[in-house]
Amino acid sequence: MDGFTYHNIFETKGQEYLVIIVFLLLLIPFWLFLFKREKLKSGMKRILAYLSFDNLRIPKGVFFGKNHTWAFMERNGSVSMGIDDFLIQTLGVERVDGILKEGTQLNKGDLLAEIGSNEKKLKIYSPISGTITETNREIIENPDIMSDDPYIDGWMVKVNPSNWTQDTQQLLLKDDSINWEKNEFSRFKDFIVRSVNKYSFEPDALILQDGGEIAGRTLEDLPIEIWTDFQKEFLNM
Amino acid sequence: MDNSAIRISSDKEKVSRFRFILNELKPKGKLLTPFNIIATPVIITGIVLIVIRFMYGLGAITNLSQEVPWGLWIGFDVVTGVAFAGGAYIITFMVYILNLKSFKPIVRVTVLNGFLAYVFYAGALLLDLGRPWNVINPIIGNSFGVSSVLFLVAWHFLLYMIAQLIEFSPAIAEWLGAKRARKILASMTIAAVIFGITLSVLHQSGLGALYLMAKEKIHPLWYSEFIPIMFLVSSVFAGLSMVIFEGAVSRKVFFNQLTDKNKRAHHRIVVNLAKICAGAMFVYFFMQILVFIHGQRWEYISTPMGLWFLLEIVGFVVIPMLMYVLAFKRENNFLIKFAAILTMIGIILNRLNVTIIGFRWDDAVQYVPSWMEIVVTLTVIFTEVMIFRWVIRRMPVLRDSPEWIKE
Repeated sequence: MDGFTYHNIFETKGQEYLVIIVFLLLLIPFWLFLFKREKLKSGMKRILAYLSFDNLRIPKGVFFGKNHTWAFMERNGSVSMGIDDFLIQTLGVERVDGILKEGTQLNKGDLLAEIGSNEKKLKIYSPISGTITETNREIIENPDIMSDDPYIDGWMVKVNPSNWTQDTQQLLLKDDSINWEKNEFSRFKDFIVRSVNKYSFEPDALILQDGGEIAGRTLEDLPIEIWTDFQKEFLNM
Repeated sequence: MDNSAIRISSDKEKVSRFRFILNELKPKGKLLTPFNIIATPVIITGIVLIVIRFMYGLGAITNLSQEVPWGLWIGFDVVTGVAFAGGAYIITFMVYILNLKSFKPIVRVTVLNGFLAYVFYAGALLLDLGRPWNVINPIIGNSFGVSSVLFLVAWHFLLYMIAQLIEFSPAIAEWLGAKRARKILASMTIAAVIFGITLSVLHQSGLGALYLMAKEKIHPLWYSEFIPIMFLVSSVFAGLSMVIFEGAVSRKVFFNQLTDKNKRAHHRIVVNLAKICAGAMFVYFFMQILVFIHGQRWEYISTPMGLWFLLEIVGFVVIPMLMYVLAFKRENNFLIKFAAILTMIGIILNRLNVTIIGFRWDDAVQYVPSWMEIVVTLTVIFTEVMIFRWVIRRMPVLRDSPEWIKE
C-alpha cells in the first residue's frame, strides 16, 4: 500500500484548463451534430421543404375522409380524429381554435374545429358521428405537435362512435386513400396555379405545369380569397 | 379489457377487497417460462444460503474477511443497483419538473423499477451487516452516527423509498379501486417527486462519498476526491440505459399490457433517451480526463490496471457514447439497445473497480466472491424481477389507468 501521497494540485492546472477549452470547443460541434437534425427537420418543413407527394405520411390502417380528416379506432373502441398530413403540410397550422368540448354530441359533417394562422381560418368538419370523450389540449398550446406526427400525438378529439360502420363506408382506407391523396395532390397544384392567376397574385410566380415543385405551407402567405376557395374545393363536405 | 380496478369497482358488492387481494396473489400466466425455470432453483438455493448466513454468520458463505469486509453484496447489489435505479429521478425530473410530457408513458414503470431496486438492493445491505438489527440505529437515534456518510445514506434510502412509494401509490389505489385514496395520493405526487430528486442527487453522490475515506485502499486510477460527482453524473446515463434496456424487455414480455399509444410513443422516447445518454456520457468522459490529469495518473496507465482502466473508459464509455450518437441520428433502435447494454456493463465495471477490483488491489490475497455470494446476488435480482412482473400484470403500470380517474 502506498500510504499517503502528496500531489501539488496546481501542477496540472494548465493542462486542466486546456482540457476544459478542448471540451468546450468539442461541445459545440457535438451539440450541433446532435441537434442539427431536429432543427433541419423543422426548418425544412417551414422554409425549404417542397411539398411532394413522397413526403406525405399516409398510414394504411387509418380511415381518411375526403375533407382531409382521418379517423382511427383504438383497441378500446374509441375513435381518434384529426386532420391529415396533406392539410398540415399545405397549410402549416399555427392555431387551432374552437375544438368541441368533451361530452358534445357530434354528427358527421358537424363543425369540429377551426385551424389556420391569425385571421385566416379553415373549418374542419367531422368525418364520423359520436360523442366526444377527450379533446387534445396539447395541440391548442402547441400546434407543432400536429406537424410532428399528425396521426399519433396530433389527434384532435377522441369520440365514442355512434354510427361507425355506416360512417366508415364513405371513408377511404389503404390503397384507396393513397390513390386519392395522390389525386388531391395534383388537384392542389392545379388549384394553386389557377388561384394565383385568378387573383393576379404575383403574376408568373407559379408555373407548375412543367413539373415544378411547390413550397410547403403554400397557403400561408396567400390571400384570404384563396383560403375561401380552398375551403370550398377541398374541405367542405 | 383486462382491468382489475374496473373489475373490483363493479363487483364490489360480491367480492370484498380482502378476497380480491387474496385472489390477486395467485400466479397469473404460464408457470413454466424459461425465466421461472432458471430463477426458481436459484431463489430456493439463495434462500437456504441466506438462512445459513444468518445462523452461522457472514464467514459461513462469503469470502469476506476483516481485511475485506465489503464485497459483492455491497459493490454490486447496493452501489451498482442504486446507479441503475437512477432512471427514476431523471425521468420524474423530466416529466414533472421540465414538463416533457412525451416521457410520461414510462414514468410509472421507471418509478416502480426504481422503488423495487431500492427495496431489494438496499435490502441486500442487511445481509452484509454483521448485526443487521442495528440498521435501525441511525433512524431511531440510538447513536445517530451523524459524522458517518452511512448516516446520510441510511436516511436517504429510507426517505427515498417512501417518496418513490408515494409516487407509485396512485397505481396501487387504481388497482384496488380506492377512488378517494387515489385522489389524495395523486395530489402528493409532485411533492414526493421534488423530495425524491433532491434525495437522489445527494445519495447517488453519497454512495461515492463512502469510498472517500478509503483513499489508501483504492487503486489511484479509480480513487479521486471527485468520486461523488462522478457517481452522480454516471448515474444519469446508467439509469437511462437501464430504462432503455428494461423498456425493450418489457415490450417483449408485456406486449399485451401496453396501450396503443405507448407502443407508438416508445420509439421516440427511446431515441430521445439515447440523445440524453450521449450528452451525459460526453460530459462524463471529459470529467474523467480532467480527474486523470488532476490526479497525475500517467504513470499507472502502462500497468495492467491502467489497461483495465482504459478498457472501462474507451470500451464502455466512449464507444457506447458514439453508438448512442449514431443510433440517435439514424433512429436505429437496435443500436440504441446495444449501446445501452454496453453502457450498463461499463457501469458495473466502474462500480466494481471502485468497490472490489481496484479495492486493495495490491493485497497478497485477493477477494474473489464465493459462488454462494453470487447465488445470493442472483436471488435478490430474480426475486425483484418476479415482484416487478407480479405488479405489472396486476396494476395499471404499462396499461391505461381505469376510466374512473377522470371523474
